[in-house]
Amino acid sequence: MKAIRGVLLTCDSAVKQILLTMNEKGSFIIEDLDDNHLVIKADEEYRVRRELEAELEKNTYSLE
Amino acid sequence: MVGPSIRIKPAGESSKASTVDGGETSHRLIGFLLSQPQSTMNRLYQKPSSCLSIFRLLQPLERQVVMNLLWLETPIPGATMAAWVTREGKRPYQEALSTLQSLHILPQQSTRPGPPQSVKHNLNPTFKASLRQAITGGGTSGSFGILAENDDKHPAPDIEALDAFALERWETILYYMVSSGTGQFPAKPSQGVLYLLQRSGLMATVHGATLQITSAGFQFLLHPPHEQLWELLLQYLQMAEERQMDLVEVLSFLLMLSTTELGKVGIHTIQFIAQVTQALPHAQSYSTENLSATQKAMLEDLRDYGLIRQRTATSRKFSPTRLATTLTSSSPPLPTSAGTGDGSHVQGFIVLETNYRLYAYTDNPLQIAVLNLFVTLKYRFPNLVVGQITRDSVKKALANGITADQIISYLITHAHPQMRKNKPLLPVTVQDQIRLWELERNRVKSQEGYLYTAFASHADYEWVLDYAKKLGVVLWENPSKRCFFGSVEGHMNIRGYIERRSAGNA
Repeated sequence: MKAIRGVLLTCDSAVKQILLTMNEKGSFIIEDLDDNHLVIKADEEYRVRRELEAELEKNTYSLE
Repeated sequence: MVGPSIRIKPAGESSKASTVDGGETSHRLIGFLLSQPQSTMNRLYQKPSSCLSIFRLLQPLERQVVMNLLWLETPIPGATMAAWVTREGKRPYQEALSTLQSLHILPQQSTRPGPPQSVKHNLNPTFKASLRQAITGGGTSGSFGILAENDDKHPAPDIEALDAFALERWETILYYMVSSGTGQFPAKPSQGVLYLLQRSGLMATVHGATLQITSAGFQFLLHPPHEQLWELLLQYLQMAEERQMDLVEVLSFLLMLSTTELGKVGIHTIQFIAQVTQALPHAQSYSTENLSATQKAMLEDLRDYGLIRQRTATSRKFSPTRLATTLTSSSPPLPTSAGTGDGSHVQGFIVLETNYRLYAYTDNPLQIAVLNLFVTLKYRFPNLVVGQITRDSVKKALANGITADQIISYLITHAHPQMRKNKPLLPVTVQDQIRLWELERNRVKSQEGYLYTAFASHADYEWVLDYAKKLGVVLWENPSKRCFFGSVEGHMNIRGYIERRSAGNA
């Protein structure tokens, strides 16, 4: 039996696909659980969230 | 004794317009009083003004019960009272009784089991005597404040002056909060106010020196003034003991202020008219002479909050402002013309269109600053600001801890009378979009913990999983992969459990 420390991310499948792509650049995913769940390294969480935010921001149209 | 049945208004029927009268939730001060010991409450009830103010804050049904009991000399059997209550009214009636007991207005019933008929209701004698005195007058305790002798050299300020003063003080506090961290440096409120804001968690120091508004502070700004005022005053009450102030005196002074009359002699002060020799002109102040040392010390704080006005710091007279006189009533705490908003419809100034454009008919810097929290402002005219609700502006507000519901309720409360012809009041597209923007922030949820995997057998897996489920720490599981994710809190227990088991096996 093994216990691995990490952070469980619960997200929709679109976000999960973006995360998988991001993982190819710099690995942070510990385990791909299912369509909506991933376990990632705890100390990478902040960076991942920031990069994801930037990535999602590219997909929105702004009036300004 | 025969009387009409007590009718209970179904929830939701009560009017939303007033904050004190019709609300389904009890007043914030009542919540605070519920936590006070009996001795404190009994001392408070010695003042007729405190009793009257607390009576005004009670729910309608509670007031009804108090009024029924007020003029009875002997206790009334519980069964007689209960006969008035309709079947649907039973539960609210019981709740009202228990609130009154917690407030020590009704004495606590002994807990010994017995038939309910044996229960007798009677008001707390101190409360009864004081409330009777408040209603009928008489007595010379000066509990409602003593009017100061008129002084031709320094006439008492009139209502306009008092309103202007209260508004200036109050808006200074709010404006200071809203513009902290924006690089502007508006007038600072006094040290006492700053300390209070910090203690209540509405502002916090960042990098040592500068005070910055917190997310609780942002939410605070969107509340109606009556709530804001009580939020600060409750914090003030909580600090009273640290500052070695007598809580009862602080409370009774606040409640006394709430019964005073704004700038003129009213019904509560009629008994003092005889003492004032001259014919009364338009304005009147109260005297500080019968105040205790604690209450005199409070004058300074209350002056800073804009609740009272004194000509000089050492003046022996003070005039309560509208902020003080409306503490326990449902009338607006700030003068209507200035429109800082109290939920009344007259004061609306915001027009919101389906294209997210927002027109605000105001020149008040505080209102503009509050709007700036969640609107991108575009143009500014002498009496009008125009802006747009954008994704960025709403995201900025959300990042500050303001919720979509708060934005929407602020817009509804301050909607221009023209908007009130629309049904629904705010364009649905805009409301929905603001909520969607909020949801967008929560696309990823993260929980820290441990992934338990690579179990030797399915039995082992089931056995650990069962234990983790009993602890309630399982966040995700998959039997076919034989792994599960448990939260951090459960890890030590699970580890210990596995170690004990393997030690037992070995």
